[in-house]
Parts: sequence; C-alpha cells; structure tokens
Amino acid sequence: MASTLAVPILRQADILIVTLQGDLGDAEWAKLTDDLLDRVAERRTRFAVLDLSVVDVLDSFACRTIVGLTNMVALRGPTMIVAGIRPSVAFAMVQLGATLPGVATALDLDHALSVMTHG
Amino acid sequence: MVSTTQSVAAATALAAIPENQFRLFWTAYEKSYDDISVQATQELLALPEFAAFANMLTEEESAVRREETRLMLRQAVDTGSWEAYAEDLIAQGEVYGEMGLSFASWFKAVSPIRVVILPHLVTAYRDSTDDLFGAVLGMDAFFDVVMATIGTAYLLKKEATIKVQQDAIRELSTPVLPLREGMLILPVVGVVDSHRAHQLTQGLLEAIRRDRATVAVVDITGVPSVDSKVANHFIQTVEAAKLMGTTVILTGLSPAIAKAVVTLGVDLTKLNTVGDLRGGVEEAERLLGYRVSQIEV
Repeated sequence: MASTLAVPILRQADILIVTLQGDLGDAEWAKLTDDLLDRVAERRTRFAVLDLSVVDVLDSFACRTIVGLTNMVALRGPTMIVAGIRPSVAFAMVQLGATLPGVATALDLDHALSVMTHG
Repeated sequence: MVSTTQSVAAATALAAIPENQFRLFWTAYEKSYDDISVQATQELLALPEFAAFANMLTEEESAVRREETRLMLRQAVDTGSWEAYAEDLIAQGEVYGEMGLSFASWFKAVSPIRVVILPHLVTAYRDSTDDLFGAVLGMDAFFDVVMATIGTAYLLKKEATIKVQQDAIRELSTPVLPLREGMLILPVVGVVDSHRAHQLTQGLLEAIRRDRATVAVVDITGVPSVDSKVANHFIQTVEAAKLMGTTVILTGLSPAIAKAVVTLGVDLTKLNTVGDLRGGVEEAERLLGYRVSQIEV
C-alpha cells in the first residue's frame, strides 16, 4: 500500500527532517533522493534526519539506499542521521546482515535533535 | 507414568519368546524364585553405587515386593498377557533414570540375575542337555527383553530430566538494569546458547526503547566460554543497538574468551570493550557527559 504523495521534508533552521510515513517502493526512494539532494542546497544545512519510527520493515534494498543517500548528502555538505529504528526492525536487519555502516543513528527524533544541537 | 506404546511393544516381545524354551526356563525359575531374588538383590547391594539402598526396604517389605513380582509373572505366564509386567519394568527403568544412575550402573543392576539363575537351571535339567539348552535360551530371550525394556525407559527418563534442567537454565533471564539516565547494565551469567543470545538481544533492544538509553554496558564476566556462533550473536546485538543509536560496551571478557574472539577472527572494530564492569561504567558515564568527582567529607 505505497503512498503516492511525496515524502514530506521539513526544515528547522539548518536541519532537514524527513519523516517516512511507511514503507517506500523503488520509485519513491528515487524521488526522495532527488528531493533531498535539492533541498540541502537551498540554505545552509548541517544535518538531515531520516525518521524511521513508523517504518515496520527495512529490507536490504532500503538499507543500501539509505547508505547511498547518506553518502550522497554528505558530498553536498550535511551529515545524515537515521533515527527511530524500531527494535524489531533493528533485529531483523542485523540477522539479514543489512546494517548501515558509516551512518550515524539515534534512538528517536528527540535524541537526534539533542545530538545535533549539543554535538 | 505409563507409556502405552512402550509397554505394548515390550509385552509383545515377551509373548513372542518361543513357548517351550520359556516353559523350561520358567519352571526352574519359579521353583527357586525366592532364593534367586534374595541372592540377586544381595549381589546388587554389594556393589558400591547401590550400598546406600541396602536399608531402604525392611526384610518384610522386600518379601512383599518379591511376592508381588512373582504373582505378576505368574499371571502373565498363565494368561499370556504381559502388559502389567511390562509396565512394572518401565516403572523400574524410570526410577533408575530419575536416580541419575550412570548407564554402567544400571546395567550392573539388572545383570546379576542370570548368573544367579544359571546353577538352578543346571540342577533342574542335568539329565537333558537339550532341555538345559532350551532353558538357557528361554532365560536369555526373557532377560534380553526385560533389559531392553528397563533400559529404554531409563534412557527416556534421563533425557527428559536433562531437558528439564536445560529449560531451567534457559529460564534464567538476564535482567536489564537502568543505572543512570540513559545507561543500561546487562549482567550476563551462565552458558549463552543461540536461544539465550536471542532473548538477550530482544530484551536489550526493548529496554533501550523503553528507557531511552544511549549506552548499554553488557558484562560477560559470568560467561564461561563463547563459540563463534555466540560471538556472532553478541556482534549482532551490538549492531542492532547501534541502529537504534545506542553504544554497547562489552566488559568482563575472560582470558579464554579474549583468545577465542581473536582466534575466531571476529571483526574487532565492531566491538567496544573494556576490561571490567567498573571501567565499562566509567566509560559509559564519559560518553553520557557525566563527570564523577569525590567530595571532601
């Protein structure tokens, strides 16, 4: 049941917050990548947070995409933080060997924001 | 207590012993039943592992038990129905299993009787080697089934006991303790198999979510050894916690485990370790931005 609306990207000062509302299909990931890479350039952006707290499943394709997205975003400046991975999702990911090497993570949006403001 | 398929199988095997051979054996056996039983029991109690049972039954109780068994056998022989006797054998086996007897011990427990009976057979059939031969075959056939029946029941009971103990060890759950705001401690004690490692991981991830922890100190001082499978489980635990934004500090690795981890070629970059729990907690406090100082008292 993929959403046909674009994934919302909100700005808070020099932080971009991307909240995934559910599982994404290939096309939606591609659109999100394009949108995010555009948005990081419109103003000085230090961080981009990918909020996965509503996501039930992260397959290996999604994981590879997130790692790729992190690196692409980093090339344009900002550091990406992935927040809100649920216990069941984290467990399934490590069992599949699909982790997020080199990607900063946070327990939830709140923690991510606190890390970003305090360092 | 009664395993129907087992008792039926045993009863069938007993009934299948060649009629004439069994008759020859049984006639001589029954004639001297009491003497044979008493002697066999004495031989048993002379063995060191059974000396403790010497005073379990009084003379009277022993005599009663002997008579019960003799009547059971008599009934089986007369009616051709061996179910009741088979069930008694199974019960015996289960007792040996529950006692935790070694295989060698239970074997010694049920073997003396043939040696005790043999002279009686020789006396009874001294005039006919054919009859003696038949009687010996009948005895062997009979006690082969008896021993197989008792042995199987013993083994099943022993395996069941081991399983109960294993389950009890599994039930020892690892508590996840919040020590400071944002810090969890997991003291792991005992053998960690895949199942426990799985439980541990789930417990930790749930606690991270619930207590909003960013550091977890997992202490394995109480874990005797680790194989490659379990080592990988611990790494998975560390990685899963990392996905949730939590750092895991592993403490208390024994020399044996330290050697094993390196020898197994475990990816050490994935592990954050500190020697002992105290050091681990101090490191965790540092990561959380605590500074502990002693106040002049």
